[in-house]
Amino acid sequence: MRIYSSLVLASFLGLMAITLSLFLIILVRRAVVQFREREYAARYREIEVELLKRLGESSLEKTLAFADRYAGFPRVLIDVLLNYARLLWGEERAKLSVIFDRALRSRFRADASSRRLVRRLYAARLLGFFVSPGDEAIIQSFLRDPPIVRLAAANAIAQAPSMDAVPLIFRAFETDEVGNAHAYKSIFFSLQVRAENGIRESLRKPLDREKIGILIEIVGAIPICALAEDVAAFAGHPDKEIRLRVARTLGSICLPNLLPVLLRLAGDEAWEVVAQAVKSLGRLGSPGALDVLTQALFSRQWHIRYNAREALLNMGPEGIARLDRVAKQTLDHFAADMATMGLIDAAAKERA
Amino acid sequence: MKPGLLVLIDIFTRGILVYFLLINAAYMSFVVLSAIGILRHLRWTRYLQTKEIFASPMAKPISIIAPAFNEEAGITESVRSLLALEYPQFEVIVVNDGSSDATLPRLIETFGLKPVNRIYRKVLESQPILGIYASSDYPLLVVIDKVNGGGKADANNAALNIARFPLFCAIDGDSVLDRDSLLRVVRPFLEDPERVMAVGGVIRLSNGCLVRQGQMACLRLPRNNLVRYQILEYFRAFLGGRMGMSMLKSMLIVSGAFGIFRKDIALACGGYNPNAIGEDIDLVVRIRRHCYREKIPHSIVFVPDPICWTEAPERWRVLARQRGRWQRGLLQTFRLYGRMVFNPRYGVVGLFALPFYLIFELLGPIIEMLGYLTFVLLIFWNKVDYPFALLFFAVSVVLGTLLSISSIFLEELSSKRYPRFRDIFVLGAYSVLENLYYRQFLSLVRAKAFLDYFRGRNAWGKMEKKGFDGK
Repeated sequence: MRIYSSLVLASFLGLMAITLSLFLIILVRRAVVQFREREYAARYREIEVELLKRLGESSLEKTLAFADRYAGFPRVLIDVLLNYARLLWGEERAKLSVIFDRALRSRFRADASSRRLVRRLYAARLLGFFVSPGDEAIIQSFLRDPPIVRLAAANAIAQAPSMDAVPLIFRAFETDEVGNAHAYKSIFFSLQVRAENGIRESLRKPLDREKIGILIEIVGAIPICALAEDVAAFAGHPDKEIRLRVARTLGSICLPNLLPVLLRLAGDEAWEVVAQAVKSLGRLGSPGALDVLTQALFSRQWHIRYNAREALLNMGPEGIARLDRVAKQTLDHFAADMATMGLIDAAAKERA
Repeated sequence: MKPGLLVLIDIFTRGILVYFLLINAAYMSFVVLSAIGILRHLRWTRYLQTKEIFASPMAKPISIIAPAFNEEAGITESVRSLLALEYPQFEVIVVNDGSSDATLPRLIETFGLKPVNRIYRKVLESQPILGIYASSDYPLLVVIDKVNGGGKADANNAALNIARFPLFCAIDGDSVLDRDSLLRVVRPFLEDPERVMAVGGVIRLSNGCLVRQGQMACLRLPRNNLVRYQILEYFRAFLGGRMGMSMLKSMLIVSGAFGIFRKDIALACGGYNPNAIGEDIDLVVRIRRHCYREKIPHSIVFVPDPICWTEAPERWRVLARQRGRWQRGLLQTFRLYGRMVFNPRYGVVGLFALPFYLIFELLGPIIEMLGYLTFVLLIFWNKVDYPFALLFFAVSVVLGTLLSISSIFLEELSSKRYPRFRDIFVLGAYSVLENLYYRQFLSLVRAKAFLDYFRGRNAWGKMEKKGFDGK
């Protein structure tokens, strides 16, 4: 028992020492953190004031001198540059790039190819503002990285890519692995109409169906009306997913000349495609779709019936008259119920 | 006394010693793992600011579900805080779960709600919905008035039927979320949208703090001793326990007070179980079971910095009711899903997470109570080595204190901390004090929960809340 007691006593003293040390560490750490936060804030203010002066001048030498002076504080300098890069355009943004090239470019390249995840993550967020021709491989490597880096890179590229960067991003997309293709979605979306040429060129290339699907989806999400014909060309694609996306995208673009394509898709063999085409026809609002939409109310699929009802409600008095006719028939009570619910909704909307 | 009985008691006391060592070793390992996890999280998120997530087109919309049962004291502040959240696209669905107080009238009056005819598909069963309300002044807000379903699960199911978005955030009706908490908690869904099924955040106690316009305006330690103990307990549970479990890919609890789930997976699992006492652990275990059975790659993650503030009980009796219910919920989970325990088909959950909860969380209080009982018997038989017993007690107090101090350290690492140095000293003192009676009280309550469960006493019990107006 004496051995046990000694053991327990030793444990007690050891644990006591650890506990007190940890408590001390907490206090010291807090003091250090508060000091560092103050120091960071002061340095940030100093760099910011100096940067604003440089932005107001045209002297390249002074800008380079500024970059040299603060190259030793990369963390604060990057934060200042990034915050101002979000706000500035044109000549001022170009000055930020000059500072970046001088003070941080080599560090950025080293970080981007570092084996340490944190350093790559650190570099990834600079991509959008300070990417330059030749960085294509860096984009691809970032988008193949673990999710956290991928997200940071996609966010960075998505926020402010220069026009030089756009073809670069599409080249990276075309040559990248299929599994990585979805990482480009948000980037394309953020490009908005600037993505038009890139998407058109990519759609004409023999890409994997997954990549084609993404491009079609993006056309609808932005939307880019000028690419309607390019998308409609895929309406006869053997893959159901592609046809589905075509139907959805054409519904978002809403051009009257797309009616025949959507009518064809409304007769597709896959019910998912039909449901989507019916929905898109409703958005189009063309009277030429009334017969097909009325017929869709008799579908065996709930989704098709529901979309047809909503579509007819969108078509105004003509659509409501069709719903009324279907509600009164007795051959198909599912169709009648769906039409009746539509009429109730329409009446409620009218009252409101 | 018979020598056979003495031998038996000797074996039992040794067993308890081994158990004591194991449980403390496990908790200390969790603290170390959590520290690694929090440091890694901080290092990564330092470079990924919330405004970048806000700008990301990949951020999926979220339906926030807040069930409210007799929450008239704090419901308007809570809803205001929810409506003020920073997130690109979200809706707030408040479920008035058959309140008998003025919860619904207060909501209607404050937010100018009017009855609407909203179309929805009844995918999950719930008690009948009496009305759906919306407001043109607050387009993000939807209020459901329904017949009381006897628990949060039924209210959440009703809201899930109405919810429009692919992610939902389940919170308590009286909780206050930090303004950027959704942006922080959604990060794992952006990083790994295919695998992440649910994400849990940190719950902290709002007692004593100042809440203004639905936001935490001033962080202060409360004066109430009981709440101070609970603050330490929440630090240990969330920053120590759940972070550690998340590091081991074994998360089993995403708190019902603040967690985000993928709606499709929750619906595939049948939504919340209305008969579950602990609806949060029940749902997570069913999601895990579903994913393992269907061979779906999945992960459930804990993020240490998004914070939800909730009110803790300030009276012993109310605390006992709350903890008893949590323990009964855990017990029920093992009765319902006991087949998963030690079952290799369920991977790390079956082989590690569930056994851990069974041995240390579920049986822990009973073993502890048996230990105290044995000690009393030994005193009665005059078989106690008092110097050794005293030393052992001192070691257990220091170990408990070390665990609490470690959790204060973890809280210091994660961003939101009590601002004054004095607070650290106060919490340090309470880390020692809680080992003298608070922990024993909780063990007693949790052990008693077994009896209540088998006697069929499974009601939620009344919770007393002051609301944020009173602070």
